[in-house]
Amino acid sequence: MGATFSRTLGAALALAALAAAPVQAEGPDGAELFQLCAQCHGADAGGRELFLAPNLTGLPEWYLLGQLRNFHAGLRGMHPDDTPGLRMFAMARSFAGALADAEMQAVVAYIAKLPVAVPEPTFTDGDPAKGAAFYQVCTACHGADGKGNQALNAPPLTAESDWYLLSSLERYKSGVRSSDPRNANAQLMRGMAATLPDEQAMKDVIAYIRSLGAAQASAQPAP
Amino acid sequence: MAETIPVGHAPEHAHEHHEPGFVAKYLWSTDHKMIAMQYLFTGSAMALLGGFFAYVFRSQLAFPGMSVPGFGLVSPNEYNALITNHGAIMIFWFAMPVLIAAFGNFLIPLMIGADDMAFPKINRLSYQIFLLSVLVLFVSFFVEGGAFGGAWTMYPPLSATAEYNQTPLGTTLFVTAVALEFVAFLMGGINFVVTAMNSRAPGMRMYDIPIVVWMIVLASIIFMASVGPLVAGAVMLLFDHNLGTAFFDPKRGGDPVLWQHLFWFFGHPEVYVVLLPAVGIVAEIITVFARKKLFAYKTVLYTAFGTGVLSFTVWAHHQFIAGIDPRMANVFTITTLLISVPVAEMMFVYIATLYGGSITLETPMLWALSFIATFLIGGVTGIFLGASGTDIYLHDTYFVLAHFHYTFVPIAVIGTFAGVTFWFPKMFGRMLDDRLGKIHFWGTVIPFNLIFIPLFVLGVAGEHRRIWDFTQFPELSAPWMRDLDKLATLSLWVMLSFQIVFLVNFFWSLRRGPKAPKNPWASNTLEWTADSPPPHGNWKELPTVYRGPYEYSVPGREQDYWPQNVPN
Amino acid sequence: MIERLLPAASTSATEIDFLFSLIFWLVGFWFVLSEAIFFGLILRFRKREGRKAQYVTGELQSEKRWITVPHLLVLVCDVFIVFFAVRAWHQVKQDLPTAPTQQVVRVEGAQWAWIFTHPGPDGKLDSADDIRKVNELHVEVDRLYHFQLTSRDVLHSFSVPVFRLKQDAIPGRVITGWFQPTKTGEHDVQCAEICGIGHGLMPARIHIETSEQHAAWIAANSTVSVAAVAGR
Repeated sequence: MGATFSRTLGAALALAALAAAPVQAEGPDGAELFQLCAQCHGADAGGRELFLAPNLTGLPEWYLLGQLRNFHAGLRGMHPDDTPGLRMFAMARSFAGALADAEMQAVVAYIAKLPVAVPEPTFTDGDPAKGAAFYQVCTACHGADGKGNQALNAPPLTAESDWYLLSSLERYKSGVRSSDPRNANAQLMRGMAATLPDEQAMKDVIAYIRSLGAAQASAQPAP
Repeated sequence: MAETIPVGHAPEHAHEHHEPGFVAKYLWSTDHKMIAMQYLFTGSAMALLGGFFAYVFRSQLAFPGMSVPGFGLVSPNEYNALITNHGAIMIFWFAMPVLIAAFGNFLIPLMIGADDMAFPKINRLSYQIFLLSVLVLFVSFFVEGGAFGGAWTMYPPLSATAEYNQTPLGTTLFVTAVALEFVAFLMGGINFVVTAMNSRAPGMRMYDIPIVVWMIVLASIIFMASVGPLVAGAVMLLFDHNLGTAFFDPKRGGDPVLWQHLFWFFGHPEVYVVLLPAVGIVAEIITVFARKKLFAYKTVLYTAFGTGVLSFTVWAHHQFIAGIDPRMANVFTITTLLISVPVAEMMFVYIATLYGGSITLETPMLWALSFIATFLIGGVTGIFLGASGTDIYLHDTYFVLAHFHYTFVPIAVIGTFAGVTFWFPKMFGRMLDDRLGKIHFWGTVIPFNLIFIPLFVLGVAGEHRRIWDFTQFPELSAPWMRDLDKLATLSLWVMLSFQIVFLVNFFWSLRRGPKAPKNPWASNTLEWTADSPPPHGNWKELPTVYRGPYEYSVPGREQDYWPQNVPN
Repeated sequence: MIERLLPAASTSATEIDFLFSLIFWLVGFWFVLSEAIFFGLILRFRKREGRKAQYVTGELQSEKRWITVPHLLVLVCDVFIVFFAVRAWHQVKQDLPTAPTQQVVRVEGAQWAWIFTHPGPDGKLDSADDIRKVNELHVEVDRLYHFQLTSRDVLHSFSVPVFRLKQDAIPGRVITGWFQPTKTGEHDVQCAEICGIGHGLMPARIHIETSEQHAAWIAANSTVSVAAVAGR
């Protein structure tokens, strides 16, 4: 009786040891740090609307790092009504201590290398033709092709989920995402978003941005 | 020890007509000892897993941002999942299966002189469902989004809304696993009660039943009476989480506090469900090693019964500050402090039993005595939390955490080691090494105190629970507090490493230990009249009982023990 | 006893600290006594050659006295503790004192931040000059405060250790409580109920200020707030 029992427990112990295989890394390990981000943004960083977490892929490293540093410094996500911002502001606190900035760089470098996820559209009632007119003000920074411009701190727009663009425009316009006067880019976007009269206009301009993305990714079937 | 008990049967294993195949033996065997061993080994393996989780999150607490050897970095979401599953595993998948299911299954038929449980097939089904719950829990660690991290108490709306817990599948599987586990123990419980009431050996009256059997029966009754609301609650939680009902959703007319009532109506009696079997094990051990009759057998029984009844009236002391009507707190303060009376009496009885004894300190006795010494700390610190005024401050601090570890570690860990070292000769037919046993004992009990006494102090200083990194809080970052946290963690490392001594002793003795006689401790109860290990069917001829279980050192008898089955 | 480890900065803190010390000495006495008797008996009755254990059933009245008397004494201690526990509880949770100078602040728990709404210069909530702050609560020393506690999503627990104050925040309910700071200083505000993955990452601070400091803070912040409210 005893021998078979010891075999059973031996197998259980081996399983436990397997689960506990040593993982060691030199310096901050972006992939491991990304574990926390994956909880909301998904293991592919493609974003989860349910958790209010946007797609992080297809964004350049400089933009991701800039935003993460903004959260970390309390320049973004500190408005009392910014529900997703308050969550991300708290998460950015997990980068603490002397290594905080090195860790942020490592995790952003990891995300920037992930394959680009193409988010599904969540609304179809935007009119790209009307949106093209509204988009004219955006071209100055984000470019006619929506690819962004690092010199002006303007991120590319074409890879982002539509629901997140909509939510951001609304939060810029209401001041929820642009409450801190030290965050100059957010202040700028607040003025730009004010040129969109209502939600329908925001949807139209997002539909236009989506059509830009579809045209560029001709290899990919347009959604 | 002398082999003087006339049991009158040959050592051949009469019931083992043929060697069953692997599946028949491990999946379908209805022998109560096989099922007991399966519960013991599954539960102990889960304890190792729970201990590993504790090692990981304690390391993060002492050294924030450390890459924990064997795990890696601990992110806040992983930290929450680790503490949640540590708590759930230690209570639902270690304390209950080992203390009630393993010892209940092994001891009840052997101690009351029966050949098996009353319902062997229900017994088997209970283990199968328990195993299924373990597997469901394991799966929850590996699904997308990861394991549930909303604490073992699963308070909604966090546990009822995927949007808030960010672990849609993990939550569903976790709640399902917990519900399945309860179903398994419901079946086990009814079996224990029926067996102890109906299958006793001829001559065994109610007051001749060994205390540990009584305790397991009482625990089973308490469990069965309390678990119903929780199983219903778990189903409601699953409906809320997956089907969009709103039992606990305040936005649509539900009430999150309802869950807390359902949970703690079970959750507090649950403490006594695991406490009573451990108290019973301790009673068996101290009487044998003090060579003393148990002091006031009937009083022990009545206090256990009183504790059981009272345990149904104290649950809301977990909810003083949870938003219940503040006037209710006064009622529950009174009932909670009242329960200290029977529990204190139980401890007094054990201390009184030692008086006038002839005490030897073998390993099982050390464990049993340390149960009393440490459980007292758990008991007295409970007063601070039952008193509503101090609970306002201490609620959800490390003081609470240290308090319930001072109850649950004596119950689950010390109780299990006491039971296993005491009945090992009967379970496996060989003796454990006493020297290694004592090294393991001191290597466990001393670090255990060094883990949790610092945590009491930290709790009084305001350190609150389930926090990934205390350096986020300026007042909790004081160097002396961080040092106490490090001391607790280092002690945990020491305590866990000493478990290797136990594993070595256990597996070495299993094969190489000296053969155990039938009754190595010169004990009175019936299990020691069976072979070591007992064959299928336990005895060739079932024993008859002539007296109570604790007739040690009876004046006028040459031997200092008087087995229950010896006519005179 | 608690104040040796953490300052006491509210009127109710002293009552709770007194109760803690009372219980500490009462149960401490029982604990030390039980452990002393316990270890004493183990030492006294170790096995010795030629000495047999005594046969004591514990069923006789004369024997039972040894446990019934201590257990009645435990009951007396319990009554004593219940009295002081209920008194402290009544003061902190059942009683809601009022004062002509009292102020009301709103406390909202959210994943994962505390949002505090202070009345602006007009001293009233829900007016245009309210000051809303994330993770930052400003109060004036010696002034009576009522707080309206609620949550936006899951359970949180508003815990101010220096006040010895703790209350769960429940979505869909507004729970009113009170505190009266007695010392100036800056202290932690915790969330003491697990509220998701950011539970440990929402530390807030309470600033207890003199009336001059507090008035200056209101003056410096209310205009910003007026603009923010108008922009919404």
